[in-house]
Amino acid sequence: MKLDSKIPEGRLEDKWRNYQIKAQLINPANKKKLNVIVVGSGLSGAGAAATLAELGYDVQCFCYQDSARRAHSVAAQGGINAAKNYQHDGDSVWRMFYDTLKGGDFRSREANTYRLAELSAPLIDHFVQQGVPFAREYGGVLVNRSFGGVQVQRTFYARGQTGQQLLLAAYSQLYKMIRAKKVKMFPRSEMIDLVVIDGKAKGIIVRDLVTGELKRYVADAIVLATGGYSRVFRLSTLAIGCNGSAIWKAHKRGAFFAAPSFTQIHPTALPQTSEAQSKLTLMSESLRNDGRIWVPKKKEDIRKANDIPEKERDYYLERRYPSFGNLAPRDIASRAAKERIDAGYGVGRLKNAVYLDFRHAIDKLGIQTIKDRYENLFGMYKKITGIDAYKEPMQISPAAHFSMGGLWVDYELMTTIPGLYAVGECNFSDHGANRLGANSLLQASIDGYFILPNTINNYLAGALEEDIPTTDHIEFEKAEKEVRVIIDRVLNINGTKTVDHFHRELGKVMWQECAMSRNKKGLEKAILQIKTLKDEFWSDVKVTGSGNELNTELEKALRLADFMEMGILMCTDALEREESCGAHFREEFQTEDGEAVRVDENYSYVSAWEYDEGDFKLHKEELEFEFVQPSVRSYK
Amino acid sequence: MAVNKLFFRKTIIAGTGLFLCLFLIVHLSANWILLLPEETARELYNSYATTLRENLFIKSISYILYAFIVLHVIYALLITIHNRKAKPQKYVVNHFLQNSTWTSQNMGLIGTMILLFIVVHLANFWVRVKLGMGEIIELDAIGNLDVYEVTFSLFHNIYYVIFYTILMIPLGLHLNHGLKSAFKTLGFYHKKGLRISAKVSLIYAVIISIGFGVIPFFVYLK
Amino acid sequence: MKVTFKIWRQENRNTKGAIKEYKVDGLTEDMSFLEALDHLNELLVLKNEKVIAYEYDCREGICGQCGVFINGRAHGPHDNITTCQLHMRSFKDGDTIVVEPWRAASFPVLKDLIVDRSAFDRIMEQGGYITAKTGTAPEANAILIPKEVSDSAMDVAACIGCGACVATCKNASAALFASAKINHLNNLPQGHPEAHKRVQEMTYQMELEGFGSCSFTGACEVECPEGISITNIAEMYAKYTKAKLFG
Ligand SMILES: Cc1cc2nc3c(=O)[nH]c(=O)nc-3n(C[C@H](O)[C@H](O)[C@H](O)COP(=O)(O)OP(=O)(O)OC[C@H]3O[C@@H](n4cnc5c(N)ncnc54)[C@H](O)[C@@H]3O)c2cc1C
Ligand code: HEM
Ligand code: SF4
Ligand code: FES
Repeated sequence: MKLDSKIPEGRLEDKWRNYQIKAQLINPANKKKLNVIVVGSGLSGAGAAATLAELGYDVQCFCYQDSARRAHSVAAQGGINAAKNYQHDGDSVWRMFYDTLKGGDFRSREANTYRLAELSAPLIDHFVQQGVPFAREYGGVLVNRSFGGVQVQRTFYARGQTGQQLLLAAYSQLYKMIRAKKVKMFPRSEMIDLVVIDGKAKGIIVRDLVTGELKRYVADAIVLATGGYSRVFRLSTLAIGCNGSAIWKAHKRGAFFAAPSFTQIHPTALPQTSEAQSKLTLMSESLRNDGRIWVPKKKEDIRKANDIPEKERDYYLERRYPSFGNLAPRDIASRAAKERIDAGYGVGRLKNAVYLDFRHAIDKLGIQTIKDRYENLFGMYKKITGIDAYKEPMQISPAAHFSMGGLWVDYELMTTIPGLYAVGECNFSDHGANRLGANSLLQASIDGYFILPNTINNYLAGALEEDIPTTDHIEFEKAEKEVRVIIDRVLNINGTKTVDHFHRELGKVMWQECAMSRNKKGLEKAILQIKTLKDEFWSDVKVTGSGNELNTELEKALRLADFMEMGILMCTDALEREESCGAHFREEFQTEDGEAVRVDENYSYVSAWEYDEGDFKLHKEELEFEFVQPSVRSYK
Repeated sequence: MAVNKLFFRKTIIAGTGLFLCLFLIVHLSANWILLLPEETARELYNSYATTLRENLFIKSISYILYAFIVLHVIYALLITIHNRKAKPQKYVVNHFLQNSTWTSQNMGLIGTMILLFIVVHLANFWVRVKLGMGEIIELDAIGNLDVYEVTFSLFHNIYYVIFYTILMIPLGLHLNHGLKSAFKTLGFYHKKGLRISAKVSLIYAVIISIGFGVIPFFVYLK
Repeated sequence: MKVTFKIWRQENRNTKGAIKEYKVDGLTEDMSFLEALDHLNELLVLKNEKVIAYEYDCREGICGQCGVFINGRAHGPHDNITTCQLHMRSFKDGDTIVVEPWRAASFPVLKDLIVDRSAFDRIMEQGGYITAKTGTAPEANAILIPKEVSDSAMDVAACIGCGACVATCKNASAALFASAKINHLNNLPQGHPEAHKRVQEMTYQMELEGFGSCSFTGACEVECPEGISITNIAEMYAKYTKAKLFG
């Protein structure tokens, strides 16, 4: 199968306009007859569902939480980027496009990335109109700040709760359309399988999480907006329920999975403190503006941080990256931390952290200034760790955070299954091999609000002529039966180990071999380990309770079963890509002083994997750079 | 749009409650006459009582007062019943004193105590003075009904003294929470203003409850 | 660390529940409260018992999905935090910890510690939004919003919809939750056109859902993880009256 990314003609600036001019329109009377399923109520899902409903389509929207308002977009703290150039500091759509493309280490499409930048400004207008209380100046205009590795101030924010405010705006809009009876909302409903009829996506199988009932839903088109899958590492900044099941099932039904191994590891999370730990909390990256990162120069140093004299401290980021220092981009900062920790210089009870020290900043700027800047973060730190960071350095550690990879989509956000779309974090589109801070709220939002509602017509116009199948269709029967078999199987193993046990094991393997730095031997070993783990899971897991009731243990088990298969694909992808780019760092491909070596001649493509009976087949979407020349990312 | 039943009831409770609070000020200042030496107190108090009974304006106010007490009680009852229904199952363990005051959690109970007080209080005075039931009340030197004497004899019964005094405690509690709460119910939300209103409520409640509470004792000791 | 949990177990909406006791060993102070329950659940699985159902998602205090009554307090012994932010170091070795679901007629128990809070969504549905279609917005800086207005809108917009206010309230009043959203939107210029309608419809729905009335006990603002002030309820009343009189 040849991958057609459907990039429109013309100059970069004109592509989206050209696309829209040529796109098909559907008249309002006909839109009413068309039915769209949106799985996910995060920024991308809620935005898409609300906007499609406003346009006149009938929408059914699903989420696994008890309310649409809890999708994990809610957790984003830092902000959202937009090329408004309000600060008059030389920002422009082009510059934002370039920063994003370069930030992603030239592993994304020019046209998509440009569109991301282009649509960012109207998105801010949109959210302000929806009542998002973005930070403002005394004069009443919007404020911006700078974020992660760019030189302009283009980030809009609402205190430390930007994601929450954007999501609540999308949720409000969704509920407005629910009231208008254009959207039907199904919370506590988890998509367990996709139904493909005659090669087209036509329905989903959903498990009602309260009653355990399996239900069938049919539609003319299906939109997946199920967010990131970094919970495959178990310990991550994601919510406990975040899963890859929906996209994984879609993958198994024919949707290609692009760049599955591109995972962003965030450098400033709180370290794991016990085996029982369930998640890692993110501490805003802004802390790196004033905090200095260090580890002791002596291995296994057991002294308290404050007892270690200045000359026995290794400020390794400042040492290695004199010009960016503590502000080096996420992937670089994470990797450098891992390098020190692995070499035995880690601190904290489990020796898995590095210090983020504010003493110098406090001495220089005074404690009040630091309080003004970070009081809520220091408060949060204290809540979780019980430690007063004004007195001793914070302990931070890298954590799995964002999935750049996801279902392969074309310019229209359609996957390789006709009628199946993927929006938001669950697709692979704009971020390449590394995502810039504050760009993903943006991507999730514009996918849902602006792009999908304009591209889905092209497909739906054709669907008008077709008869919509009923849920009695044989494919529905088949899919539901398969799901039932899996559920029964999990419940009947009655083994000796808990689901969490297997998830912890999977997490350890993935974290060790498929996170910040990877190598051939490790990845090959990891694939074998996961396969063994998978076999063990299917013969020795124990899940109590039944399938016909609210059963949180069963939910976990089903998600984990998919994560294990996904883990294998992630390792396979990482193994295949013999270069270092963005967040993907292959130890074999580095310079003498440990910097990434990108191999454009061989790897300037997006890997898109086809599922093939437990195996995976690689397809390549070659990346063509018409308008910019890939350069080497250097932060020295 | 239909009126929100709960808001309506709450507004009535607050409005009537505030009026009752005003009434209490007037009532208390007049009753402090009882603290004066007997010679001056008796005549002054009796003529005041007469005015209360005969002045048309004050009479009409008193009807409003009765109506308001009834309204306040009825709506308080309704809202308390509704609120109980909204929380049919209680917690096995509930440490509500860590997040709120006992008073605020028990306004219904406290109100019922006050109601009991009001009933007894009306039986002691209103029934006798206004309805002329029970023992005949003599006239004083100027020819006013000797209400002072009614009070005087009542408060020489130690049980009544204790009853009247003790029940000023729930009144004080009710007023302390009720007054500041009424401001909020009526839509006053200025932050600093509310802090002041909380202080005013406390001072008001202390003055009213102690103010009334000392009267029986004083009279008893006369 | 060793504690005794006393936990409300209830099969489903239609059955009666009861407190059950579990002695749990092997906990550490660093564990979060929910991780301690996770640990207990693993033990239950190995003993072939059904796990205890409780809710959570983000586990960082922002999604609002977690929330149980712990030792007589909504979200546990501290003020202004969520259940997922509570750690075992807040308890002592040997403590007994009583865990109950949110109690309110409008929050029926679905199972064990899980309640149905969809009443909140239905309140939001009745006007917790600004009617503006995607694509119709004016330029963001065209309408200036003074910093104080925007900041105070943010104070209330921060509500995470956890339901602790209802849970702790003796009347199961949703006034704090509803007022937070009403004041957020009604105080912004974008929300003005629908202000009167919004306050009436949202509060009406609140009544239909069977929530109680506010007695200003103040418990809600102490338990609210976002520290939303109770003065918002007074402000909502003011807006309601204004809407009735002039709306
Ligand atoms: C801690 C944290 C901080 C972040 N900070 C920032 C930031 O400052 N700036 C920035 O730009 N980005 C940030 N990000 C990234 C950004 O928040 C996400 O990429 C983005 O919000 C994803 O939105 P989404 O709509 O794709 O998915 P989500 O918001 O994750 O929504 C997924 C939806 O899918 C549903 N779902 C999932 N699986 C199923 C299933 N099987 N069946 C049914 N429904 C399902 C869920 O219920 C949910 O409704 C952060 C991410 C994290 C984790
Ligand atoms: C001197 C007599 C009384 C005065 C001055 C008074 C005053 C008040 C005031 C000011 C309030 C506050 C209203 C609000 O919260 O907005 C109030 C509330 C209340 N009153 Fe009274 N009151 C009196 C007698 C009573 C009686 C006799 C009852 C008997 C049942 C009662 C029951 C209540 C209750 C239950 C409330 C609280 C309602 C709620 O839960 O919010 N009160 N009162
Ligand atoms: S007002 Fe506070 S306590 Fe109530 S739902 Fe919102 S965040 Fe939770
Ligand atoms: S789990 Fe999200 S707030 Fe506690």
